[in-house]
Amino acid sequence: MSAVLLHGSAEGGLRQRLRFGPLWLAAPGIAFLAVFFLYPVLRLLGLSVQDADTGAWTGEHYARIVDTGVYFRVLMGTFRIAGLTALFSLLLGYPLAYWLAQLPERRRGTMVLAVMVPFWTSYLVKTFAWMVILGRTGVIGGILSAGGLPRPEMLHNEFGVMVGMVHAMLPLAVLTMLPVMTGIDRRLVQAAETLGAAPGHAFWMVYFQLSLPGVAAAGLLTFISSLGFFIVPALLGGPQQTMLAQLIIIQIQEMLNWAFAGALATFMLTAALVTCWVYDRVFGLSTLSGEGGRRKKGGGPLRKAGQGVLSVLAAATAGAARLTQPILGERGHGRLPAIYSTLVLVFLVAPAVVVVPIAFTSSPFLDFPPPGYSLKWFEVYFGSDLWLGATLRSFGVAFATAVLATLVAGLAALALARSTSRWRGAIFALFLAPMIVPRIVIAVGLFYLFAQIGLVATDLGLVIGHTVLALPFAFVAIAAVVKGHDWRLDQAAATLGANRVQTLMRVTVPLIRGGLVAAFLFAFITSFDELTVAIFVSGGVKTTLPKQMWDDMILQLNPTLAAVSVVVFVIVMALLLIAERLRRSGR
Amino acid sequence: MDKNDDSIIGRRIGRRGLLATALTGAGGTALAAALPAVLAAGASRPALAQATQITVADPGGPYSPAFRKAFYDPFEQATGIKVINVAREAEPTAQFKAIVETRSYSWDVCTLTLSARDILAHQNLLEPLDFAAADAPGLMPDALTGQWMGTDVYSTILGYRTDKFPSNPPQSWADFWNVEKFPGRRSLRKNPIDTLEQALLADGVPLDKLYPLDVERAFKSLDRIRPHIAAWWTGGAQSTQLIQSGEVDMIALWNARAQAAIDGGAPVRISWNQGLYSIEGWGIPRGNPRADAARKFIKFCADPQRQAVFTEVLAYGPTNLKAYDAIPKERAQALPTFPENLKTMTIAREDWWGANRSKMSERFNAWILG
Repeated sequence: MSAVLLHGSAEGGLRQRLRFGPLWLAAPGIAFLAVFFLYPVLRLLGLSVQDADTGAWTGEHYARIVDTGVYFRVLMGTFRIAGLTALFSLLLGYPLAYWLAQLPERRRGTMVLAVMVPFWTSYLVKTFAWMVILGRTGVIGGILSAGGLPRPEMLHNEFGVMVGMVHAMLPLAVLTMLPVMTGIDRRLVQAAETLGAAPGHAFWMVYFQLSLPGVAAAGLLTFISSLGFFIVPALLGGPQQTMLAQLIIIQIQEMLNWAFAGALATFMLTAALVTCWVYDRVFGLSTLSGEGGRRKKGGGPLRKAGQGVLSVLAAATAGAARLTQPILGERGHGRLPAIYSTLVLVFLVAPAVVVVPIAFTSSPFLDFPPPGYSLKWFEVYFGSDLWLGATLRSFGVAFATAVLATLVAGLAALALARSTSRWRGAIFALFLAPMIVPRIVIAVGLFYLFAQIGLVATDLGLVIGHTVLALPFAFVAIAAVVKGHDWRLDQAAATLGANRVQTLMRVTVPLIRGGLVAAFLFAFITSFDELTVAIFVSGGVKTTLPKQMWDDMILQLNPTLAAVSVVVFVIVMALLLIAERLRRSGR
Repeated sequence: MDKNDDSIIGRRIGRRGLLATALTGAGGTALAAALPAVLAAGASRPALAQATQITVADPGGPYSPAFRKAFYDPFEQATGIKVINVAREAEPTAQFKAIVETRSYSWDVCTLTLSARDILAHQNLLEPLDFAAADAPGLMPDALTGQWMGTDVYSTILGYRTDKFPSNPPQSWADFWNVEKFPGRRSLRKNPIDTLEQALLADGVPLDKLYPLDVERAFKSLDRIRPHIAAWWTGGAQSTQLIQSGEVDMIALWNARAQAAIDGGAPVRISWNQGLYSIEGWGIPRGNPRADAARKFIKFCADPQRQAVFTEVLAYGPTNLKAYDAIPKERAQALPTFPENLKTMTIAREDWWGANRSKMSERFNAWILG
């Protein structure tokens, strides 16, 4: 903005500023990210172009990346894994979200709780649960070998990674698409059918197109957050599944070569931003970052191509339906989405099903099925002030983070949706950026900043750090819903005498509630399951639940982790059910 | 990496931090930063009296209760200085560096591996100890430098399943590499450290002639075993899980990880032969205002009686070999520095790795992608 001010005359600058218009709503978020994200991270990345001795500019670290080649290959592998994860999350998640969206509201609420089950299990525990299920001596291998079949290799290869990654990302994908889908008026599909469209055609040409903002948001979220994963690929994958984030962490923590780590992080960040840009251009799906204007123009070659693809899909669906109709019958057809969705839900809940018995095991390992049962792991948990204190702190920090992130992201999403400013794209990218930058880079950067302003080892520091990480998820979840919001309703309210605050609170917020709830949940869970920032910012003194779990598994992964997961799960489910009850009785 | 790599960031923050302090006159950072000045002014007695508490960063988990019993509580009783312990990260170097550069001193003492020690010493981030070998008779010579004292010894060994190999088990890295004579699923660590040594030992290099490593020969040897590795592990808990569940039949892992599986009743045994041991110990962040109390604490931890106590819980070897006078024989045999075990192993040479690690990591990462 300063560039704009410098550019024109004082008058021109003023006009520019005024034209910033509704974007002022995004100001709190921009300021927050500028101070607690951009400044600390850029300072760290800046090391990558400085000579350690003289402080002069140097490109040696980037030359090393280019010369060795291994980093480029790892980057390609990282993109491949993230891309496949996003693809499978959408393929599995779309029908589930579609099915959930058409359920009666009460039933949908219950089913959404099942979708969220994996959310409340720490990713460490989930990953080990998959090792128990997929391993050679594991649950599936045991069943197959009992039936006289060979034990398949499902672990330490790409299959294992995909299972773990898609399982971790699927709830995110479904919960991002769901509010968009529930907002679609299904009578439009009926109307299309009344006008002679075959059911397949009506779906692809009407419903699917209307749900695209949700699909795009879910794809982007799962892809970009998969880029930063490394623990799941390390535990479930083979040597090919090396992630760049892992190499960055090694440079920061083991080699203490922050300049090179900064270069690698910049490399990854650039690649991610280029991908976002290409994705936006090629698919035209990025309905979030300024597609609004383009769609209205319509008729572009890409859009025509997209329509062509959809027509082919529609024809294929209709053909397939004709083939299966005689076999399955009308009723069988109607049940297909429910059967498919049930299978996906089983996949989502499977690790939890394994974790619960393990919590009651008498063995010191994560054995399944447990050789005997005992309550000793719960006794460890409830007998320890450390565990209980960590649980309380995690809930408190996560709640504060969720409130802050939803508020800031909500304002920003509203601002961007109504703005036509050319700054939109840049602001959009800024809100997504914390998701792309490896967490360790943010954590180290924040530690230096917090040390300067006395926030190390404070709960406020934790909340700030977690809010930085949670903002992208909250922002995208709200933006996807706001996209479909009919602003004429707000205008109508204003015409009828409502002031801006009244309009916001009584018209806009109730209508985009689905997105706000999703944002709140995403932010809560981001904080609740976060380890890296907790380790750095807390300085080890104020422990959170994931950090306590991490400390506990340093030497050995014991079933206390499973017991903790069960306790957390029970608390969260109770809270959610109470909230649901209150909401209903409040109506 | 040069020792002047103490980063532009740190210097800038240091100055600004002090400036901010001078302006606001508040904040714990400020107090900590001002303390050395007070000490230097000759007010040594009141300063000593001030250090009534130190913060010790240990690896957490079972270390915390074991070290509390062996070191923290007895030290509190002996000196009146309270010990607060916090769990540090698996690799504490980044946080250590940040603590020194921001002068925030949230830790006074921290456990460091040999590689962490060398990296930190190289960047001049460690406080001198002022402690001579003569002060602790029985201490292993490798366990003391001017800025660091080793407290426990861990070792990378060969673990195998006794249900898979009831008789004639693999006893060396050559056996591990011998897939005809010892069929079974294998696992190695996805890291060049120790793995290159194992590859050379398997290829016939004698234990005392390992260093400097013949890198070409090591990678050639690794080429031969690669198709037979079912899993490359990255985390310690994962290595325990792999051998405990029977996912693999033999594995290169840290002795305490194998011991965890054994203690849990899994049919696993350790072959100490050709093991590579290393040492973990205490270091003080440079410029620490409570360094005197921290030094006192570290000296206290050299005591053989105290070291014997932690071996009750942790399967790590004491660095003061006199501790074995107080350790029951059965337990002693499960520890890396037990003389019978120690003589079949060699120390992993940190000086070689310090100079070559960056290059080796890159080469190993490229190799493993195939």
